[in-house]
Amino acid sequence: MLDETRSLDATRADLPVRIGASSILARLLRLSGGNATLTTGLVIAALILLASSIGPVLYGRDPFALHTASVLAAPDGRYPFGTDDLGRNAFARLLVAGRSTLYVALPATLVAFTVGTLYGLASGLGPRLLDQALMRLLDAVLALPGLVVLIFFGAIVPLNTGSLILLLGLISWPSLARLVRNETLAQRDRDFVHASRQLGGGLAHIAGTHLLRVMAPVLVVNFTFLVGDMIFALSALSFLGLGVQPPHTSWGGLLQEGLDLVALDAWWLIVPPGLMIFAAMLATSLIGQGLLARGGTR
Amino acid sequence: MTGSGVVLSLRHLGVELAGRDGHGVAPVLEDLDLEVREGEMTALVGESGSGKTIAALAVMRLLPPGARITGHALFAGEDLLTLDERRMRARRGSVGMVFQNPLSALNPSMTIGRQVAEGHRLHTGANAGAARRHAIELLGEVGIPDPARRLDEFPHQFSGGQRQRVMIAAALACNPKLLIADEPTTGLDPLVARQILDLLARLQRDHRMGLLFITHDLSLVERHAQRLCVLYAGRSVEWGEAPAFFAHPRHPYSHALLAAVPRLGQASLRGIAGTMPDPGHRPPGCRFAPRCPRRQEVCTQGYPPSVGDGRTEAACLFPLEDIPVAAPLAAASPVAAAPGAARTPGSALLQLQSVTIRYGDRGGLPGGRKAVVAPSLDAVSLELARGECLGIVGESGSGKSTLGRAILHMLKYEGRILLDGRALGDLSTGDRRRERRRVQVVFQDPRESLNPRLRIGAIIAEALQLGGQHDRDSLRRQTAALLERVGLNAALAARLPNAISGGQAQRVAVARALAARPDIIVLDEPTSALDVSTQAMLLNLLRDLSRDEHLAYVMISHDIAAIAWLADRIAVLRAGRIVELAPTDQLVNHPRDPYSASLVASAPRLAGAPVTVPGEV
Repeated sequence: MLDETRSLDATRADLPVRIGASSILARLLRLSGGNATLTTGLVIAALILLASSIGPVLYGRDPFALHTASVLAAPDGRYPFGTDDLGRNAFARLLVAGRSTLYVALPATLVAFTVGTLYGLASGLGPRLLDQALMRLLDAVLALPGLVVLIFFGAIVPLNTGSLILLLGLISWPSLARLVRNETLAQRDRDFVHASRQLGGGLAHIAGTHLLRVMAPVLVVNFTFLVGDMIFALSALSFLGLGVQPPHTSWGGLLQEGLDLVALDAWWLIVPPGLMIFAAMLATSLIGQGLLARGGTR
Repeated sequence: MTGSGVVLSLRHLGVELAGRDGHGVAPVLEDLDLEVREGEMTALVGESGSGKTIAALAVMRLLPPGARITGHALFAGEDLLTLDERRMRARRGSVGMVFQNPLSALNPSMTIGRQVAEGHRLHTGANAGAARRHAIELLGEVGIPDPARRLDEFPHQFSGGQRQRVMIAAALACNPKLLIADEPTTGLDPLVARQILDLLARLQRDHRMGLLFITHDLSLVERHAQRLCVLYAGRSVEWGEAPAFFAHPRHPYSHALLAAVPRLGQASLRGIAGTMPDPGHRPPGCRFAPRCPRRQEVCTQGYPPSVGDGRTEAACLFPLEDIPVAAPLAAASPVAAAPGAARTPGSALLQLQSVTIRYGDRGGLPGGRKAVVAPSLDAVSLELARGECLGIVGESGSGKSTLGRAILHMLKYEGRILLDGRALGDLSTGDRRRERRRVQVVFQDPRESLNPRLRIGAIIAEALQLGGQHDRDSLRRQTAALLERVGLNAALAARLPNAISGGQAQRVAVARALAARPDIIVLDEPTSALDVSTQAMLLNLLRDLSRDEHLAYVMISHDIAAIAWLADRIAVLRAGRIVELAPTDQLVNHPRDPYSASLVASAPRLAGAPVTVPGEV
């Protein structure tokens, strides 16, 4: 009798959860239009976002506490991803590293996206001379190796979240700017743009009401690619010690710390952050490609 | 019916194609019976979506895989639809085909000579020398001057009309018994179109070929077709001998279609309200019933049986029996009193003073890079009075679109363009914007002129907002009123441009122009992308609007008959110069310039058609 009620309760409790999960999946699939690439990308991205945002709270262990008794412990029940050379919980550190990576990479993407879009629109819509000047400047920026510029500025500017966002954002816009400019040139002579101009629409109106709307699919796709690029750039920077500064850390920073200890065979310090970088890049790439494929059928 | 001399006989031809979304098949063509006889032209006439091109592709077995074809296509005693691929290939030589767009049908990297001779060599195995001689002969026959030299040139070195001639020569290469021409004159200037049609008619007589001519334009085949078949939404509605058809159309649709073609000298122009149903959404019974003025309850119950006298037959329960035939053309062309002919012209609203546009000038938005490819406009001077409609006619390359764009200040020009005596350039920025709103535009391609990502309501609201109105309720009310003003349902405001028809989209463009309360609307080929029945509706709407709102139009078109329907005066433009500018009836009846005379002569004139039908069609 007792057993029966319990099992009944169990199924009752189970049911909404199952419906919830399947409806989330169904909603995701609907969102992605049945596109497997896009769905996979969205699922990975959602997992990474969840792990990095509420992960540290849920896991609840202090990523900075030093457990001197278990330095460089291999993964076990207590430390799922082991500990580092100072005895810090590697799993807790991986979660907060994700948080600081995204804290920098996502706003930096926004900066690059905004600058790139405005620059491209200005170049495509502005007078010919302005366009020429902007494009030459863009060529110059593109010609500089991004990482070298980052290292240079990283050496002269105090590194904190704000300066990192600006640094990364301000060197990553040129390719998007060129794309937006070319799209603008392709769209600005369409009849509906001329009609809007005849109605008295100024350049800002035409850009906002018409051009950005028509370009929206291209922009969304490139935004996702930009996020991936940014995570990679930040990781590279952190790997060189110029990224998120201690005691905070990022995936690239963790990777570097791990590699310093490679002689000690501490694989658990290298593989997880490497995999996280890989997964994040994969997710943005899959989402971008999925959106592209879906846009193609429209 | 399979008498002697029948080249091609279609029996109950039907085609089903997979739906646009990839699943589900919809019948696009049903139960088509058609005969093409030796030395005769049979015209297959229908608007876009009627299934006319599908019929031709089905005969040639060129439909995409997945298409289901039923019925028979008998050619020289064989059913083309059941032949195996090897024998079909052999048959293709005896059926020539001419397509709509000669540029895409010709390979740009091969010389004309090789392409013309290709079919001949494939089917007869002739050697290169013989094939070349044959190709020269053919090019001469289709009227390419100096064929021996031009044989070694490439397609881009030929004009549009010449390319179509080359296509015809290639189709003739294997001495076909049957020639299928699918809208071969679309995109060509009216004069050139006439020449191509005359050429086809001559070749078909000389070679004793059967010619199946597919077109949407009834007026085009009036002079040459011996028999004809009118398709509507995948079914033939009327068929038989062409002269009898043009003298006495039986089906209300045929009649409406004839009445919808603008002709010189016509007193009324009637379009057909509504749109043709898509495959898969076709009504039961008569397909035309929902748009038919003679519709009765029984029309929707089963496809109507055919009635007729053996010369022409129509699938209609209530055919037009005793409609008198209109007087022939020669008798009188009392030109339609153009709407504003009696209007006293006020002071000039718009003045163009020796406006010149040179090749390579840049324009458009500031810093425009697009070079003006059209030839220059050469010292054009014009005046437009308030409420007047000025027609500008000319063939492609005459500069007529350039002129329109200059009036819209989309191009840089020399000379002066004055609105109420003031040049736009002399004004302050704010005034300039206000003045600019007084001249609006309706473009040729209705899809291209609406932002595909904005809803119809937003498109019209944009025009109001740019005029300084921002109250949401008032915007919504005015948008609805404007849509109704152009004959559209206000509920359309919630749709995106790709969810409405071309005719509706063009009305939205008109509504947007009206929203700015303009004095002038530049109509740049406003009807040429539309179907015949829709065209007439739009022309009538424009005419009503001009009368009610006292609007002035500058209407640009290559279709002089459509222009004559609206315009008070017509300017004939050739190579950037105005060769004649005269009141409409004078230009249409007594053109002074030889070039305008030839343009007028190429336009359809009031002949057997339009007659008054009981019930407004």
